[in-house]
Amino acid sequence: MIAAALAILVLMLVKATPLIYAALGGVLSERSGVVNIGLEGGLVAGAFTSVVISGASGNPVLGACAGVLAGALLAAILAFAATRFGVDQIVAGTGLNFVALGGAAYGLVVIFHQPGASREVPSLGTTGSWVLVALAFALAALEWVFLFRTPWGLRVRACGENPRAAETAGVDALRTRFWAVVTGGAIASLGGVYLSLGELDLYSDGMTAGRGYIALAAVIFGRWNPIGATGASLFFGFFAALQYTLQRSGVPSELMQALPYLAALVALAGFAGRVRAPAADGVPFVR
Amino acid sequence: MRRGLRDVALALIVVIVVGGLAMIVAGANPLDGFGQLLDGALGNPSEIAETLVQTTALLFPALGIAFAFRAGLFNIGAEGQLILGGMAAGIIGVAVPLPALLAIPLTLAAGALAGGVWGGIAGFFRARFGANEVIATLMLNVIALLLATYLIGGPFKQAGATASETASLPAAAQLPGIFPDSRLTLAFPIAILLALLLRWVFTRTVFGYELRAAGEAPEAARRAGVNLARTAFVAMAGSGAIAGLGGATIVMGMLHRFNTGLSPGYGFIGIAVALVGNLDPLGICVASFAFGILQSGAIAMQAMANVPRDVISIVEGLVIVVLAGRRVVAARRNA
Repeated sequence: MIAAALAILVLMLVKATPLIYAALGGVLSERSGVVNIGLEGGLVAGAFTSVVISGASGNPVLGACAGVLAGALLAAILAFAATRFGVDQIVAGTGLNFVALGGAAYGLVVIFHQPGASREVPSLGTTGSWVLVALAFALAALEWVFLFRTPWGLRVRACGENPRAAETAGVDALRTRFWAVVTGGAIASLGGVYLSLGELDLYSDGMTAGRGYIALAAVIFGRWNPIGATGASLFFGFFAALQYTLQRSGVPSELMQALPYLAALVALAGFAGRVRAPAADGVPFVR
Repeated sequence: MRRGLRDVALALIVVIVVGGLAMIVAGANPLDGFGQLLDGALGNPSEIAETLVQTTALLFPALGIAFAFRAGLFNIGAEGQLILGGMAAGIIGVAVPLPALLAIPLTLAAGALAGGVWGGIAGFFRARFGANEVIATLMLNVIALLLATYLIGGPFKQAGATASETASLPAAAQLPGIFPDSRLTLAFPIAILLALLLRWVFTRTVFGYELRAAGEAPEAARRAGVNLARTAFVAMAGSGAIAGLGGATIVMGMLHRFNTGLSPGYGFIGIAVALVGNLDPLGICVASFAFGILQSGAIAMQAMANVPRDVISIVEGLVIVVLAGRRVVAARRNA
């Protein structure tokens, strides 16, 4: 009994970790006023690039670093478009997901000469993957301190609530948003690294399986707060873990899978208490 | 109009430059790659027919997305609405034995209704609770796929069907073909007629005017007596119904059964189509044809010129990114 409960808890941590990273990236970005629908793309960029570099260099840590860089670069496209051209962030983010998913599928053919999945590459191993799990929680705490206890965090939040006022107070809203989105992309991509080099040792098409969208749900459910988003990710991870146990009990697994999305809808509609996005979230700021 | 031309030029540049570069990296000659792409899409009458099939499949969700965009709402959920529309058509088409004259309209209506309900949920949340329709439709997309998987594999499992498919549609519920040896059916003229109808609605009716007013100047529209909540609901439900109708035509014309994997992302590519088409139904017809060429030529390009067809996804994604700055989009109301 205890062993079974423990197994579910461990599985919950495994399932929650990529969600936590992606959600933390989303919170940072949205707190600065940029909605990042491209979290899924960030996961893909991290997962795929880390496998390529780990395979080429034989060093999974180097691979992980490359994955983070790729996530940052992908987010930089969105950040640049959002701050420089004031584009609709949601439309652009949707496009970026397409680019990342298509790019990884294309890369599999060009680099590994096989569609569907890469070959096996040196992974981070059991220790490495648990380090990534622990790092997710550490980052959550760090991001909370950053956002709510430091002057830089205050500036980020100011840009998300009222960029014009922030500018009047001497904050460069465009630059703040740019770096918040890029850093958010880097954090999110660690979730992808965990999926490909932590849980497994390869990249396969569709391995992110919409986790970027669940993370968006976690951001809302967690009320744009790093700790809340982590809690929401754990909650969703718990149900993902439970799914395996309940599979034999007759509860449709689709219902369990749909739970995070249903929860997000409920939160959006305001049934779960007042949920308020940063006031200028998703609103292009033009000087 | 000039803005529209600029967008088309921008999209073309992305296709040629990025697509060409990706072909070179993959070790192919871009001239050969684009040549095979065009040849595979337009090389002979039956290939042109298949390109028109893809055009049709993109036209419905793109028109639906434009319908919501007009009202300043971003329906990112066309994919889910299309899937549920297809599922409803698959279930009703098989379950209700009727002569073609009745079966076809009924099955089409079932698809439109299912898509409309799914879009309407997001519209209702928007109108009633002010919930952001983007996030709502994004979530509803995944729920739609899970719901369809559950229903087709469980309660609505039909004799002779696998886990992810319905049984084959009876001939009476299939759309009649209009070109020999192809999958081109009545769906194509229906889509074109719908585009013409929507153009008339957008430009010539009070309702179309209210949609646009609500999208471009919500505060002014509200003061002029436009019911914004009702407009939001109608726009999303209508948008979903159009996408759902598209799903039904895929089932009734292309596959003759519902399959949970029936769409390679038509609902998402439709966003690019709607933007390239400048949200104008006639422009969208032309844009659908252009993207239809990409879709149907991609397979030939992969087989003949050795270019991974995923190049097309990259290109389509980048077209969405560069066109995200459009005025109509930027005027979107914030939730």
